[in-house]
Amino acid sequence: MAMSFGSTLKELFRDYRFAVAFILLCLLITLAVMSFFAPHDPTLWYTAPRDLPPSRQHILGTTSRGQDVFWQAAFAIRNSLIISAIAGIVSRVIAVAVGLVAGYQGGKSDRILMFITDGFLVIPLFLIIVMLAMLIRDKMNIFTTGLLLAVFGWAWDARVIRAQVLSLREREFTRTAILSGSRTLELVSKEYMPYITPLAFSTLINNMSWAIGMEMTLSIVGLTNMDIPTLGTMLKWALNYQAILMRRWNWVLTPVMLSVFLFIALYWMSVSISEYLDPRTRVQRVGVE
Amino acid sequence: MAAGDVVLRADNLRAHYVLDVPGGQKTVRAVDGVSIAVRRNEIYGIAGESGCGKSTLMKALYAWINRPLRLVEGTVYYTKDGKEFDIYALSKQELRRLRWTFMAYVPQGAMSIFNPVIKIKETYRDFLSSHLKGKTVNEMFEMAKEHIDQLGLPLSILDAYPHQLSGGMRQRVAIALAALLHPSVIFADEPTTALDVVVQRGVVQLLKDIQESLHNTIILVTHDMGIHANIADRLAIMYAGKIIEEGATEEIFKNPLHPYTQFLINSLPQFGDTSERVSAPGQPPSLANLPLGCAFHPRCPMAMPICKERQPEATVSGEHQVACWLHAEGREAEHAAHS
Repeated sequence: MAMSFGSTLKELFRDYRFAVAFILLCLLITLAVMSFFAPHDPTLWYTAPRDLPPSRQHILGTTSRGQDVFWQAAFAIRNSLIISAIAGIVSRVIAVAVGLVAGYQGGKSDRILMFITDGFLVIPLFLIIVMLAMLIRDKMNIFTTGLLLAVFGWAWDARVIRAQVLSLREREFTRTAILSGSRTLELVSKEYMPYITPLAFSTLINNMSWAIGMEMTLSIVGLTNMDIPTLGTMLKWALNYQAILMRRWNWVLTPVMLSVFLFIALYWMSVSISEYLDPRTRVQRVGVE
Repeated sequence: MAAGDVVLRADNLRAHYVLDVPGGQKTVRAVDGVSIAVRRNEIYGIAGESGCGKSTLMKALYAWINRPLRLVEGTVYYTKDGKEFDIYALSKQELRRLRWTFMAYVPQGAMSIFNPVIKIKETYRDFLSSHLKGKTVNEMFEMAKEHIDQLGLPLSILDAYPHQLSGGMRQRVAIALAALLHPSVIFADEPTTALDVVVQRGVVQLLKDIQESLHNTIILVTHDMGIHANIADRLAIMYAGKIIEEGATEEIFKNPLHPYTQFLINSLPQFGDTSERVSAPGQPPSLANLPLGCAFHPRCPMAMPICKERQPEATVSGEHQVACWLHAEGREAEHAAHS
């Protein structure tokens, strides 16, 4: 437990999956950051000649809308990451709050909160999200898309956190704290948070990849703001202009490959961190030293 | 005994575990009519074998009633600054403020009494910040360091995680933590369990030192008669949810009146005595299904017919009281009437 952040990272890097995921994610984030230095506004059309193959000037060619594919991709990855981060972080806040209150408070508040949580778990999420996205279609931007996904992405993790709190509540140190007159808020925020934080982080990654996938689905259906380049809208435009039929692989494969890399990076990172957090699998992997 | 001297008083306390079982409810009478008065500046020992209700009595005394435990009857009065109040009449908020500052609790020295993922000093700080605000937390923390030093514990424990401390050290830290805010009453629930005799001695000494310097009250629950003989000023013997004998420790060890107490004390080894030790025959009764009359009668070699029919009342002679028909006033008359 006394391990520093550095040695934790070192241990994680012993897993090739984490190393690959980390490097991939770093590259993708670099690409996203590069979008700040883009020569053109990504929402404008015809800033470049149309349908060019990759060349020195346009590394990944240009689209039928006269946009540079490379710079489009940079914006797309940035916006997709922002949407998924908003969705992930906001839903983590909801999940932690619901999990802590339901788990610690118990009784009636637990039953009410878990009724709502179970409701969110069983309703067909996709249909509801599509419906809501249609309702607020005019106001769809990266923030509203992120929030919309956040509202539906917390239920499972709230249950996971509640389960952890239920176990913590019965431990002896909780009794020591209460009989030393700890406030409920202090107990939960200071004594329980160290247990909840790793859980929140490992579920954050899963939730982010879910949000990216969901955003792409909504875009393909045409329910997000088509003017904002994301991985989803980029793919949608490519399909719209028959990029596959016209064999403009540079255009259509860019968002596809980027999202594949992003999913692999997030998934491997999540798997390897979860394994690291679970001492049993860690011993299997690292061996007993 | 002057009334002003009493810091904790319980009257006819009954706390039962009410369990839902198929076909109805099962009641475990863990504390069944206990009346005690604990004085200021004393170590009050509660002794008894496993399952006699000692720990439940403690819970009832420090108002830690959680389902399925229920307070059926009676209440607990504390005296603070000359005023007596009913602990069960307090609001949650008032009760929270009293905890640790007025009544502190020393948990059994198990692995998990401290949060295993934070350092001891964080635990200190977290607990302090619930009672104090802002800057004073840091000032109190400095005081806590002095306090730990005075108690003879190394300051390095503050930077340790709970698992890095030995069982005995963890227990001593728990005691030091409980005593930090100079509480008037300290509850110690089996503080020496799972410690070897040498470490036990250190823990007991620490409790004794704290009591001597603070002049407060310690209520000590343990089944270890040796510990009681060492530090308790007064001793209560508990059997099947009741206090069957109470008195000054020395008096009880010298002149045990209840047959059960006699068994307890005679089973202790003594220097120079090589005869075989006799323990009480049989098993303690189930608290869910107590025998009629005196709960000890099935195991008592001196049982009389009346013991199977009626519960004995406590007979007081000076400081020493006992609940046994052998010592009941006018028992000859009753005995004659029944036979």
